[in-house]
Amino acid sequence: MAFIPRWRGTGVFLGTELRMVLHDPLAIASSALVEGILLVFVWVLARDLLPFALLGSLVYSLFLIGQFILSEAAYIRIDHRLNEMYHASPLSPEAYFLGMASGLAVGFLPTTLVLFALTLVLVPTSLAGLGAVLLVLLAVWTISASMAYTISTLFKDMKAIWPWASLIANVLGVVPPVFYPLALWPAEWRALALVLPTSAGAALAGAAVGLQPLAAGELLLAGAALGLQAAGSFAFATWWARRSAREA
Amino acid sequence: MPEDALRAAEVRKTYRTRGGPPIEALRGVSLSIRRGERIALLGRNGAGKTTFLRIASTLLMPTGGTVEVLGHDVAADPDSVRPLIAVVPQEGKPFFHLTPREQVYAYLRARGLPRDEARDRTDQALGQVGLEDVADRLAITLSGGQKQRTMVATVLATRAPLLFLDEPTIGLDPFARRAVWESLRQLTREGSTILLTTHYLDEAEALADRLYIVEEGRVLAEGTAEALKHQVGGTIRVSVKDGAALGDELAAFGSAVSEDGTVHVVTTQARVGELVDLAMRQGLSATVGPVTLEEAFLRVVGRSIDEE
Repeated sequence: MAFIPRWRGTGVFLGTELRMVLHDPLAIASSALVEGILLVFVWVLARDLLPFALLGSLVYSLFLIGQFILSEAAYIRIDHRLNEMYHASPLSPEAYFLGMASGLAVGFLPTTLVLFALTLVLVPTSLAGLGAVLLVLLAVWTISASMAYTISTLFKDMKAIWPWASLIANVLGVVPPVFYPLALWPAEWRALALVLPTSAGAALAGAAVGLQPLAAGELLLAGAALGLQAAGSFAFATWWARRSAREA
Repeated sequence: MPEDALRAAEVRKTYRTRGGPPIEALRGVSLSIRRGERIALLGRNGAGKTTFLRIASTLLMPTGGTVEVLGHDVAADPDSVRPLIAVVPQEGKPFFHLTPREQVYAYLRARGLPRDEARDRTDQALGQVGLEDVADRLAITLSGGQKQRTMVATVLATRAPLLFLDEPTIGLDPFARRAVWESLRQLTREGSTILLTTHYLDEAEALADRLYIVEEGRVLAEGTAEALKHQVGGTIRVSVKDGAALGDELAAFGSAVSEDGTVHVVTTQARVGELVDLAMRQGLSATVGPVTLEEAFLRVVGRSIDEE
């Protein structure tokens, strides 16, 4: 049977998730921690790299939402078992997934908005450049949300999930050239940086605002990698949400 | 509209295990539930109750057999079944960072109810389970009983024709359990049908119109609590302390089981006096009480419900 996603109820579940985030303001504040600390380090140690670090923080803040989705989806499923209550209801599993991912994105938006405002002040850019940055941010969030939700369904124990959440956020978010210029990354691994979702996002955003120029081939590689990963991971997560809602 | 809310025929479920032999969780369960009934699946831990409930509520695929909910096949047509059911999962907890009011309302809205109707039903359901006073407190601050009643209120508010509750009072204190029982009675008074699983004998007896005793993936007995108790062979239980020495003489009065030196004899009302006299003459104390569901369970299953 053909798989036709049903999105009815996404907005309602977005509202539910958002309400939960707003009941826990400390979580919102803590979401800015890593970006904040790294920005302070860069401010003290290499002030000229601050625009790169700011753009990187922006990309990272969207990518980090995946970590919250991973924890939240697993927590609701393993500790509260509320996913069963929702999956045995008219709300489709794909609407449940997208509602949760969007709710957390909106809930943790303050960090992104502050970083965005700072970026606008420090890195003046054109409207087209801004549009391109927003598209990049949307793609990064889509990839991290899709990846996180899919991974969240694979574990039976919360403790097993924490290291994964931390590993993904740090290995993909901090190690590659997200907070620092692509030029400082080993030249022989440049192509790898241009296909990883976080560093590809940072490179594209940097190019869009004129901060770090990319060759045409590099632009194409990073753009295609990010676009394909966003579309592919979202399609897979949507299908997987439905598939995993009923155990075989 | 079919007369049966649920009809299951020869339902089987086998779990594959990594490296080990497959586990047969259900070995051909057949049962039917008429609309408006409260039915309990009674069994020890691991008997297959939750597996059946998860299959019936579209959360798990069966290996074989069929389950129909109000005429719809749960395996082939889950999308038609889901609007007709609501589930309280085993050890399910409300969202800790929502209030009971928000939890119930959000669930109703997710099921597609319009705002006004969802609001009205939320207020009504919270009132029915006695949570008005704490309706606007975050669930994380509520007691275990209040959290569980929030879960019950959530499904109650759906007014779904068929409700599944998996061990709805596990871990609750006696007062909280009774409050949940009352909420469930209220549900069927309003026309819903309930299938619940439990390993509490008193709960099954207090709540269910009919019981299915499940053991090792099979239904071993079915009927009302009274009917199952009658199958034991008597209506009165006489417990004779330190009565082991009178074993054969006591066994002549009916079925006798020895437990920690006390002999429990199930007998008829007509022979109680004679049996108690016998014990007294030997200087032993005897207590008399009605046969309980525990005896019925023991007789049907061959093991106590608490035995692992």
